[in-house]
Formats: sequence, C-alpha cells, structure tokens
Amino acid sequence: MESFSFEAIGTQWHITTEVPVDTAVRSEVAALVEQYDAALSRFRPDSAVTTLGHSGGTAILPGYAAPLLDLFDSLERLTQGRLNPLVGGSLEQLGYGPGYPLRPLGPPAAAPGWTSTVSWQRQEAVETVALTLNQPATVDVGAAGKGQLVDLVWELLTARGYAAVVVDAGSDMRHSGPESLRVALEHPYDPGAAIGVLDLQDGALCASAANRRSWGEGLHHVLDASTGRPVDAVAATWVLAADAMTADGLATALFITDPALLAAEFSFEYVRMFSDGRAQFSNAMAGVLFS
Amino acid sequence: MKPQATKPLLTVVAGLTLLGTAGCGSDGAADNAAGTPASSPASSPASAAAGTGAEGPGNYADGEYTGTGSYIPPSNQKEEVTVKMTLSGGTVTAVEVTPSGNNPTSKRYQAEFTDGIQEQVVGKPLDSLDVGKVAGSSLTSQGFNKALEMIKGEAAG
Repeated sequence: MESFSFEAIGTQWHITTEVPVDTAVRSEVAALVEQYDAALSRFRPDSAVTTLGHSGGTAILPGYAAPLLDLFDSLERLTQGRLNPLVGGSLEQLGYGPGYPLRPLGPPAAAPGWTSTVSWQRQEAVETVALTLNQPATVDVGAAGKGQLVDLVWELLTARGYAAVVVDAGSDMRHSGPESLRVALEHPYDPGAAIGVLDLQDGALCASAANRRSWGEGLHHVLDASTGRPVDAVAATWVLAADAMTADGLATALFITDPALLAAEFSFEYVRMFSDGRAQFSNAMAGVLFS
Repeated sequence: MKPQATKPLLTVVAGLTLLGTAGCGSDGAADNAAGTPASSPASSPASAAAGTGAEGPGNYADGEYTGTGSYIPPSNQKEEVTVKMTLSGGTVTAVEVTPSGNNPTSKRYQAEFTDGIQEQVVGKPLDSLDVGKVAGSSLTSQGFNKALEMIKGEAAG
C-alpha cells in the first residue's frame, strides 16, 4: 500500500492506494481541493459563498454543489430547520468565524429560514449551480462539505484507475478495496481511547464530535439552527453510509434529530453517544461498542 | 447453553406494546381494544418478578437472554418481536429488539424501538487495539487551535 498526506480545509488528509499516485494526479487532487475551498469555504474571505453572503444575490458554483444542496434541502426539511446551512451567521455570533475570534458577539441568534432565503438551480449545460440568497447570510456547508470533498477526491483517484483507494480526512473517510479497514471509534472525552471498533469496506464512515472544538463553557460548533444554541445532549456520532457526503450530513443531523426520522429517507447505520455516557446504535452496529 | 428467562422478557415486550399504542394513538388510529396486549396474562406476574430483580442484583446469571413476545396493534394483525438482552453484574447492558414487521405501520413504529442502547460506553486505550484508522475529530484546524491558545493565554494573564 502506498500513501501520501497533505493538509487542507483545516484538517490532515491521508490517502492510501495500491500503487503510488503519480505527480500529475496529485496535482489534480490539490487543484480539486483548492477549487472546492475557493467555492464553498466560509472561512475564506475570497470564496464564492463569502462574497455572496455579504450582499446576497447569486453565486455560480461548481456542478457538485447540486447534490450537496439537495442533501441540505432534505436534512433541513427532516429536522424542521434545526439543521440549516445558514447557521453560519449563528456560529459567527458565538465567535466561530473567520480568523476564529472565539468571543461571542452577543446572545445566540437563530439562522434565517433556509427555504425562505435560499434558492438554487442546476445549470446543466455548463455544469454549474446558481445559488441565490435574497438577503445577506452566511452559508456554512460544514455539516456535509468535508464528506463531499472526500467523495470527490476518492472519485477522482478511482477514475484515474487507482484501486484500493482510502481517503481519510480525519473525521471522514471513504474506503474501497478487497480488504476491509479496521477503524476505532475515538472516545469523545479521551483522545487516547476508543469506545468501539468496526470494519469499513466499500463505503464511508464519518464521525462528528462536539467537544473538540470548544472555545468556552458550552460553546462548540454544532448548533441547533432554529435557536442558534450549541447542542449539548449528544457528545459524538458515527455514521456508515455508501458515500461520505451523506454519512457526514447524517452524523451532524444525529446531534439534533432522532435516527428514525432520518431512516425514513436515508440508508445508513449509526452509533451516537450522549454526553451522559449512554450510547444508541442501529442493529447492524451491535457488537461494535466495547462492553 | 444460554440461560433462559422468559418472564422478564415478556415485561419488556409489554412495555413495548404500551409505547407502540401511544405512538398509534398520536396518529389518531387507536381504539379501546388496541391497548390490550396479547401477552397480558403473563405480563402481570412478570412485572412483579422484574421489580424484585431490580432491587437485588444476582437473581439472574450474566449472559444473553432471548425471548419472543407478541401483541396485537390497532390493525388487528398479530405482531411478533424477539428481544435479546445482555445481563452483566445484575444490570442490563444491551437490549436488541427484532420486529417481524408484518404491516408497514408497525414496521415504522417498531423501527423506533429496534435500536440498541448501551447504558455506559467503555473506553479502551487506542494502543491496545489493532486498528488501521481512528474515526473521531481529534484533528482540528491549526487556526482554531492557535486562536484557542491565544484566548486561554489572555484569560490566564
């Protein structure tokens, strides 16, 4: 197995393939990550969504924004607005914004309504998406964006003929190949420990934990968009799904909604651990947690 | 051989029946007959037995217990559920419920009760595990970490 690593979008990436990835394809991976960041990162002052957020109006995004926005449409509806990409403004209010001020600007603020503020359209001919905001607002695709970038990198490498591709971006990973990958579920309160182990094969595993990015009493980056307040009942979630974008989005959604609600429209397995130490898991995850 | 404990399991099933009925009731579909679980004759003494068991651990040996119960939902179509419990040191550490899901409504309600619950997660040191990867969010962005160090420093000074 061959591997290479790089840092991007605030995390360390490790990519494993059967044979080494050549320089030209590594450059393609770097360009893809850069394009994604330039379009969708709210932490970049020059990104398309940042510019759009200042004044509202329409931004032209790469075609892959369509499945991402489609997923957000579903999650926003299923969670009745508690998961909403416009939560970016609520996060900034609590101090989690560009430059990481980490000081609340004021009391928690609910996000503007997703469906009342946002509309988007595929532009098939030019493989782009037009995203329109009818008022200034901060779009934060963080709930599923990193997962989607994992998928895009995995698809690029697979399309270039690489086999047994594992893309690991810390909390989100995608695997393909004849040998399964044994993965530990990191204890949210003890980075040196795990609460369980599972085998990942030909699919994606995404983890979400609230407390790791905590900058004050009760302040972390997983919010209920309808109140603008951090969610405190759930400590960490893990989701297995066919692709990392879906797994990532569902891992975030499990902080604020019941698994059964999501199961009505998505196919996935999960573990979620509550802050009191209890854990809930889907049938297929029985035996994953240590007991 | 697995130890068998039918009575406490029926208690669990009876509990499920009540929950299931409440769920249907909120749908406006419940009628008077619906609240009567098919296993009601057996469930009353079982409740008493379970109550005693809860007060003094050790009444049941550690291990996995499996039982099957049935109930009749408002659809009048008999439903069966299989309940598997793991008992350790006198406490239930895992419960797994497998529904038969004969009709779509029951299937949906039952799905809400088939998820497993573990009362307390158990951490094991990572270096004691043979794994290829760790899924968590220990890696946070350098920018965030630097900013956090800075405000901590200011707070200390």
